[in-house]
Amino acid sequence: MSSVEATTDTRTVSRWEQLFDRSTRELLVGLLFAAPYLALFTVFLLYPLLKGLYMSLHEWNFLEPSKSTYVGLENYARLLEDPAFWNALWNTLEFVGMTVPLIVGISLVLALGLNKELKGSRVLQFIYFSPYVLTVSVVGIIWAQMFAQGGVGTQYLGWLFEGTPLNSKFWAMPAIVVTTVWWQAGFYFAVLLAARQNVPERLYEAARLDGAGPWRMFRDITLPHMKNALLFVVIASSIFQFQVFGQPYLMTKGGPVGSTETLVYYLYELGFQTRELGFGAAVGYTLLVILVGVSALNYVLVGTNDE
Amino acid sequence: MSNADTTQSLTDRLTDRDTQYRIALYAVMYGLAVVFFIPYWRMFQLSVTPMSVLSQGGFNWIPPELTFAVWQRYLVEEPIIYQWAFNTLTIASITTFLVLLVDSMIAFSITRLDWPGQGAILAVIMASFMIPGYVNIIPLYTLINDLGLMNSYWAIILPFAAGPLGVFLLVQFFRDIPEELEEAARLDGFSSLRIYARIILPLSTPILTALGLFVFIWSWNQFLWPLIVLNDDALYTLPIGVVTLRDVNALAPNVIMTSLALASLPLFIVFLLFQDKLISSVQMQAGTG
Repeated sequence: MSSVEATTDTRTVSRWEQLFDRSTRELLVGLLFAAPYLALFTVFLLYPLLKGLYMSLHEWNFLEPSKSTYVGLENYARLLEDPAFWNALWNTLEFVGMTVPLIVGISLVLALGLNKELKGSRVLQFIYFSPYVLTVSVVGIIWAQMFAQGGVGTQYLGWLFEGTPLNSKFWAMPAIVVTTVWWQAGFYFAVLLAARQNVPERLYEAARLDGAGPWRMFRDITLPHMKNALLFVVIASSIFQFQVFGQPYLMTKGGPVGSTETLVYYLYELGFQTRELGFGAAVGYTLLVILVGVSALNYVLVGTNDE
Repeated sequence: MSNADTTQSLTDRLTDRDTQYRIALYAVMYGLAVVFFIPYWRMFQLSVTPMSVLSQGGFNWIPPELTFAVWQRYLVEEPIIYQWAFNTLTIASITTFLVLLVDSMIAFSITRLDWPGQGAILAVIMASFMIPGYVNIIPLYTLINDLGLMNSYWAIILPFAAGPLGVFLLVQFFRDIPEELEEAARLDGFSSLRIYARIILPLSTPILTALGLFVFIWSWNQFLWPLIVLNDDALYTLPIGVVTLRDVNALAPNVIMTSLALASLPLFIVFLLFQDKLISSVQMQAGTG
């Protein structure tokens, strides 16, 4: 059996070798292995990316795309004049600005605390990390209940607002921030815990012999050694939180009076409720430019820090 | 006398800085755990509280009466949740398999084969890290519509299968597999396909498991995209299904919370079984693991 297989093998290989020289063969085999990924990448990423740019320059007709009219940069001009866009941008920045520092702070406390040997640390780790495996709809609906009439948040913090936080222009966004921190902090906690565990313990022993207190050890040893992991947490969570959608969609529908409408929510409404696809594509592109800018800025900052 | 000694040493210990520090540490860590646990407790508590208690309003931590009627209803009488779980499981499994297959193939091609242009292709893939999935949804929606894939599993599986993360992780891992193994195999007349399937893949089980687990959970939990491309009850995934249940049962928190608990259960079990693997897969992404 195996000898038959071997002969067939040799024959195919030799014919294959006659047809192409070595480097062509390597190229063909290489492309063959790369092809499935590249096909998906081209069709579902590169093509929509170009099509989005094209759509954003048109008044797009969804049912009959051939009837779309070219409008140049009009969609972008309209975007810059749309107060709803500026409102969504401002709300998103407000959300990111509150969420990211809280996530960094809480996940750092969790990681540093759990790095000490505690009784029950496995159970603690399970509790902190577990919200991360929940889908946003479960998270959003549970917390909408927590902040509804008769929910925990409203019961104990009710003196802060009239009615419920989700009906308050001022408190709706903080409520969404709390929800998000509960959902996401565990993920970054896991990242920071590993980073903390990678700091060599002998550095702390040496510092203790020098009489350094906990604050000095934190500032001079822990922070510098965890710098890259902390940067990762800041960058990754900023980019992720910038695309917040599910929490406002489920908890406030963007309200009250647009106070929790974020950029992706705004994009969703244009695309899938009012069906202004050309204008929506322009919003998508603007969002893309903002996020690429944020990423590029981060890479530059991280790059210069490494030198 | 001896009693006084013990008391003395106990006060000594309580005033000792290290001990105070440990007490504070336990208080903070367990206090946060309690806070983190409250939403879970409320979900469970409300799911077993009878409507008669809920409709009175008021607040309590422990329900005065218990009932598992709603659990029974969704587990036995109205099995729509099973249908959604089946849809979600099918989509997440196919997505995971597809991602592992195409990512490992291209990573193999880039690291273990030698052909012109592979560096440029890797650079383009890595650059796509900067393009967040959501910014593309409008053109992607028209594409899925043109392909006639609306309301199908494929509408959810295909669009985000070619992501950069898996390629990034696998390229790094494959690069570190020693050349010697492969050279010996080539001398034995192994084809590239056999080297990929018999040598590289088996050696990469740990990273493939970690990546697979991550992709599975990510796919299972997708929300915005399925919300856009699915509009048929029978095809809903769990994340979308629970939202429709909430909308029709707005006045029955016990129904809502039961459906949320049921929808969360599968991944909770996965997490219980693979806690360490999952946490290390998170750490791997940040390069800290």
